[in-house]
Amino acid sequence: MKYIPPRSPVWIFVFLFTLCFFTPVQSAVSELTILGETPPPGFDPVSGERVIPNERCLKCHGDAHEKTDTRDDGTVVDIYADPEKIKDSVHGEQACTNCHATISRVPHREAPDVVVGCVECHRETWDKHRNDPEGKYERLGVVMETIESYYDSVHARPNKHDQSETNATCYDCHEAHDIGTLGSHQRAEHRLKNPEVCGECHRKELNEYKESVHGKAVLEEKDSESAVCSDCHTTHTIVDPESDKAKLAITKNCGDCHKGAQRTYFDSYHGQVHRLGYTNTAKCHDCHGGHSVKGEDDPTSEIHANNRLENCRVCHEDANENFLTFWPHGDADDRENYPGLWFFKIFMQTLIFSVMGFFWIHVFMWLYREVMDRIQGKGFIEDLNKPDVVYFRRFPAVWRWIHGLFAISTMALILTGTTLLFSHTGWAKAVVVFLGGTEMEGIIHRTAAVIWLGIFVAHLAIAISNIWSKRDTFKWFGSTSMLPNWKDWDDLKGMFKWFVGRGPRPEFTHWTYWQKFDYWAPFWGAAIIGSSGIMLFAPETTAIILPGWMFNIATLVHAEEALLAAIFLNSVHFFNVHFRPERFPMSTTIFTGAIPIEEFKHDHRLEYERLIESGELDNHLITRPSRRADLAASFITTVLIMAGLALLTLVLIGLMTSPA
Amino acid sequence: MRYKNNIAILALLMILPAFSQAESPSGQALAFTCAGCHGTDGSSVGPSSPSIAGMDPDVFIDVMKGYREDKRNSTIMNRIAKAYTDEQLKGMAWFFAKQELQVSPQKHDPQLAVVGEKLHQKYCEKCHEDGGAPGDSGTLAGQWMPYLKYSMADYIDGLRPYPRKMKRKVDAVIEAEGADAVPALIHFYGSQQ
Repeated sequence: MKYIPPRSPVWIFVFLFTLCFFTPVQSAVSELTILGETPPPGFDPVSGERVIPNERCLKCHGDAHEKTDTRDDGTVVDIYADPEKIKDSVHGEQACTNCHATISRVPHREAPDVVVGCVECHRETWDKHRNDPEGKYERLGVVMETIESYYDSVHARPNKHDQSETNATCYDCHEAHDIGTLGSHQRAEHRLKNPEVCGECHRKELNEYKESVHGKAVLEEKDSESAVCSDCHTTHTIVDPESDKAKLAITKNCGDCHKGAQRTYFDSYHGQVHRLGYTNTAKCHDCHGGHSVKGEDDPTSEIHANNRLENCRVCHEDANENFLTFWPHGDADDRENYPGLWFFKIFMQTLIFSVMGFFWIHVFMWLYREVMDRIQGKGFIEDLNKPDVVYFRRFPAVWRWIHGLFAISTMALILTGTTLLFSHTGWAKAVVVFLGGTEMEGIIHRTAAVIWLGIFVAHLAIAISNIWSKRDTFKWFGSTSMLPNWKDWDDLKGMFKWFVGRGPRPEFTHWTYWQKFDYWAPFWGAAIIGSSGIMLFAPETTAIILPGWMFNIATLVHAEEALLAAIFLNSVHFFNVHFRPERFPMSTTIFTGAIPIEEFKHDHRLEYERLIESGELDNHLITRPSRRADLAASFITTVLIMAGLALLTLVLIGLMTSPA
Repeated sequence: MRYKNNIAILALLMILPAFSQAESPSGQALAFTCAGCHGTDGSSVGPSSPSIAGMDPDVFIDVMKGYREDKRNSTIMNRIAKAYTDEQLKGMAWFFAKQELQVSPQKHDPQLAVVGEKLHQKYCEKCHEDGGAPGDSGTLAGQWMPYLKYSMADYIDGLRPYPRKMKRKVDAVIEAEGADAVPALIHFYGSQQ
């Protein structure tokens, strides 16, 4: 260590440094002294600042006989602060100068500006007491949140006419001398005064509001249950009313009181799109008016019968009189008021439950039987020592293409359609964002629908053409006919007997009854979903010939039938074709067009025997598909199965989380 | 060598605050020089020099600065006031603020004083609260009446600037009560002993 001689300046420095701690100048906590004098009474002994008691302020500001003052320039200012209200408020124990911190002299030597900062005091108090065990300051946590919301709100932005000021600040809305705790009379009074407070700046809106049902209830009847500004616009999270955020918030807030109306609104196309987070469809205030919302009996109301069509035409420019019979809040659960809608809902749900109930029982019993058979070494088991070499040509190329396109377009329809049906879910919102919004989603849905219907019509044309070309020999109930016959009924009964172990597995012809069901179901689906979809596709055109309530029916049956198809195809159809133990994990026949002859023999023995007997079998036999064709078919099938299962999962999530 | 010099300079800087406060006399010592006119500890015994004991320190500083900057009509105070720094004014202000005002009896008209009290309550009390007792707007109660008379004359004649709002009150009281208004008020303040 380096030696420092005793007389070194370093020692002087150390001595003086130590001395500094003992001089009066350095003693920060003691009383302030100026030229030996301490501050006189009435002044803070440490800071030397004047302490102004509230009574001194209230001498002038608490005089109920002189509530205003005239400034030198002639302007009259309100200077009154009710002493009783202050005492009664949450700030009752605060010194006036805690908030009015720029006031250092009374009487004011110059006309003072009202400079009050609420935020820092609340923040400091919260920081100091947030962990207090008795929870006295718990509510300040909410105040902190509202402060943050305020800073993000349009009110905290610089005013466009004077950037040195915000659009509004705390005390523009809160009468600081009269703030009560939660549930206090001050808050009840503040609520009733809310429209007037907002109307100080938003005069036009206040005037409209005064004429509305809300305004009359609040301002004339003093009904605090009716909506005030902040109920719709929120208190502190106020944003530009033209923004999506504001529109979404307002619609949500309408529903806080009008729960039934909101529920039925969300069942409509308007509401479904809105709930996905988009505001380009009709919202509450688009039809009912915003500030001037009135009852339907009021001739000046936007929803009065005489004004309603004009209202519809804001968006639907070519809307005709038939639009007036649309039920914007049609409720399928309300049998009394909407019996037609109720009937269709009951019908469609009965259909869904019976079809799904029947086929799921069919699925589970089949699964049980095949599992039991396999345990016992029975059923169709692939012989690994004799790989399939000979295949049966089951589908020509055109049917394979048709099925492929049908599957893809159906899945696209399910994905885009169920986002609307289950617009309450997070996945629906994410999917819509991923697809690029509801408008893009609509384009995809309609494009897929055109493809789907196009395929359906093309198939019909091909089928009719085939029948026509063989019209002389065509047998309507021949072995390869798709038409149901009594053998299908017998096969169905035979299968159930087999399921429960009371009979052998039935032997089938070219098409089994479940394959015929899969074939004919889209005819029903096309009729229901297609016709309702076309109606919804072009509402103005539809309304030329159909009443407006057909949109309600169409929306309902379109969704219900699509739901049935989505669940059926992605569960029952998948099981019958791919997942039953004899086929698991999948059958690629629909894409290769070929089925191993052994499998064909097992599943369609009667047809196999007929072909042997007639000597036609060889005409249908082909060699094993190429490895590349097999891989491609496996790939496509896998992708479609995975997509289908994913869709089924999303649909089930949607159903299980549906608001009651 | 440079290293040693740096340490010496640093040491000097450290010690400066410790010595700086000893350069001015104390507030009390400065205040003693006022006793010739304003009486011992600021309680005046002469009719024209106002009592400044118990005077609000901010008012004291306002007045002294007014004299120092020749903004307030004076006889000799403008010369005296120029000698003091802001810090010295504050030291003196705090000293006088802590002194109790010793009021000397004055000859007054009790009836006029009663009128004055009513006028005070109506026009003056909000600023000069507690009947004009020493406070944040100065001292009126027990103040020497000739001083008040000259002061009011200065205000009315425009020789002393009115504090904010006072002119309209003075105008109002004169308009309401006429020429007796100001004497009545002065007799009221003089009556408080």
